[in-house]
Amino acid sequence: MDELTEVEKLLKDTFTAHEHIAPDSDQVLADARERIQKRRAVLSRPLAVAAGVVVLTLAAVTVVLLNRPTDKAQVAGPVTTVQPTTSVSTESAIPELTMPYSLDWLPPGEVDYLVHRVNIGGTAEDPDTPIYGGEYMFNVTNNGQVLYVDVQHFGMSTPDEAAFKSGPGSPVTINGLHGVESSVSDGPGGYELYLTHPGGGSMYVGVSAENGTTAPAQLLIDTGRRIAEHIRFPGDTRVTPMFGLGELPSGMKMCTFDLEKGFDSPPGTAHPSTSYQLGTCDTQPTINIYTADERDVTGTAGQPVQGHETRYVDESGYLKLFVVDAVKGKSVAIAGSVPLADLYDIGNRLILPN
Amino acid sequence: MADYENFVRAELPRLLRYATMLTGEREQAADLVQDVLVKVYRRWSRISDADHPDRYVLRMVTNGYLSWRRSRAARVVAAGDLPDEARPGDFASDHALREDMWQRLARLPRRQRAVVVLRYYEQSPDAEIADLLGCAQGTVRAHAHRALATLRNGLTIEQMAQAKES
Repeated sequence: MDELTEVEKLLKDTFTAHEHIAPDSDQVLADARERIQKRRAVLSRPLAVAAGVVVLTLAAVTVVLLNRPTDKAQVAGPVTTVQPTTSVSTESAIPELTMPYSLDWLPPGEVDYLVHRVNIGGTAEDPDTPIYGGEYMFNVTNNGQVLYVDVQHFGMSTPDEAAFKSGPGSPVTINGLHGVESSVSDGPGGYELYLTHPGGGSMYVGVSAENGTTAPAQLLIDTGRRIAEHIRFPGDTRVTPMFGLGELPSGMKMCTFDLEKGFDSPPGTAHPSTSYQLGTCDTQPTINIYTADERDVTGTAGQPVQGHETRYVDESGYLKLFVVDAVKGKSVAIAGSVPLADLYDIGNRLILPN
Repeated sequence: MADYENFVRAELPRLLRYATMLTGEREQAADLVQDVLVKVYRRWSRISDADHPDRYVLRMVTNGYLSWRRSRAARVVAAGDLPDEARPGDFASDHALREDMWQRLARLPRRQRAVVVLRYYEQSPDAEIADLLGCAQGTVRAHAHRALATLRNGLTIEQMAQAKES
C-alpha cells in the first residue's frame, strides 16, 4: 500500500482510539432537558401549566407504550438464566444475524429492544476484528419501573481508560476479569461498568433509571454486575433482519449490520429498520443497503428486481437503486459509487420476505 | 414524544462520538450536541417526518460544528502544541502515534476536518458527504486531498512504517 493509504489507516485507527472520550449521553441529554424546561418556564403560567400536563401525559403514554409487548419483546425470569433470542420470522428464509456475544441473563421484566448492531469492520490493520463486537440497547419495564440498559464492546479502550459520568471509577473483579465501575443513584449515568474483554478492549454495561426517575443504587449495581457476569463469548443470540443479503459478490463482505426500532412508526408497532454496509471492511464500505420509506423513492424506472419495480437515481456518480415495496411496505435502497449493474446484482441476491 | 426519547437514546451515543471526532474535545462535543438536541426537540414533529431523521440530525450536528463561533473552540485549536516535525522518540507506541495524529487533526480547517471525519470515521461516500455539506463531490475530494496532505506532512518514513505495522 502506498503512503497515502497508510495515513488513511492511521486516521481511522486514531478516530477509533478516541471514541472513549466522547461525552456521556445521559449527562448531555439531562442538560438538554434542563434547557428545554427553562425555556418552558418563561411561558405564561397558564401555558406552562398546560405544557406540564402535556409532558406528564406524554410520559404516561411512553410508559404504557414501552410496557406493551412487541414482537421483539421477551420476558426474562427474575432468577433463572435465560437465553436471549429475538423472534424468528417464519414467513421467509431470511437468514438471522448472530450477535458476537450473548447476554445470558436479563433483568426481570419486559424487555423492549431498541438496537442490535455490529460493526464487523474493525481497526484498519485487522478488519475482521470488530470495533464494536456488538451492541444491545434495550428498556426493561418491571412494575412500572423502566431501566435503560446498554451493553457494548469497545475494542480499543481498556477499562482503565474509561470515563465515567460522575466521579472516579473504582476497581472491580467480575468473573476473574479486571474492571472499573461507577454508580450514582440519583444522577445521570446510573451504574456503569467497563470490564476487560478477553479479546482486547473492554465491555461496557450501563444500567440507569428512566429519564426523570430514580432507582435504588443497589438495584442498578446488582443488575449491571449480573448482566456482566453472564455475558457469553462467542454469542449465539440471533436477530432477524427485515431482509437478508444472500450470497455476496466476490470480494465483498458484510462490514456492519444495524437493526433498530423504527423511529418513524408508532412505538410498539414498528418493525425494526435494517441496514447493512458491504465492502472490504478496510477503509470505506462501498455499498449501503437499507430499508427506506416509499417517500424516499425517486428516480427513473429501472429493471424489475425479484418481481419488484425499481427506481434508480444518479447523484453525481453515487447511484441509488430502490427496490420498491420490497419489505412490508418499505423499499430497499442499494447505494454506492459503483456501476448500476453491480447494484442490480446485489439486489437480485437479496433475500426478501415472501 | 416517546419516539423522540427512543430516537435520542439510540442515536445520541453515535452523535456524541461523531461530534467528538469533529471537535476533538469532550466538552465542545457535549455543547454542540446539546444545542442540537434542544433544536431537535422543538422541531421533532417535522424531523420525525423526515425521510431519515438520523441523517437530518447528523446534518444539524455538522452544520453546528461548521458554524461554531464560540471562542473556546478557536482557543483549543490554536493551543495545539504540535511540533512541525515529530520526534521519533515520541513514537514508542501506537498510542503515541495516534495521539500525534489527533493533534494534527486539530490543526485542520473545520470543513477539511469534517470531510475527513465523515470519510474515515462515518465511512460516508463522497456523494453523501457532498450532500451533507452542500457542495460538489469534487470539492469533497479536494478537501480530503488537502487534509491528507497536511496530516501526512511531518510524518517520518519511520512513523509511516510503524503505522503500517501497527
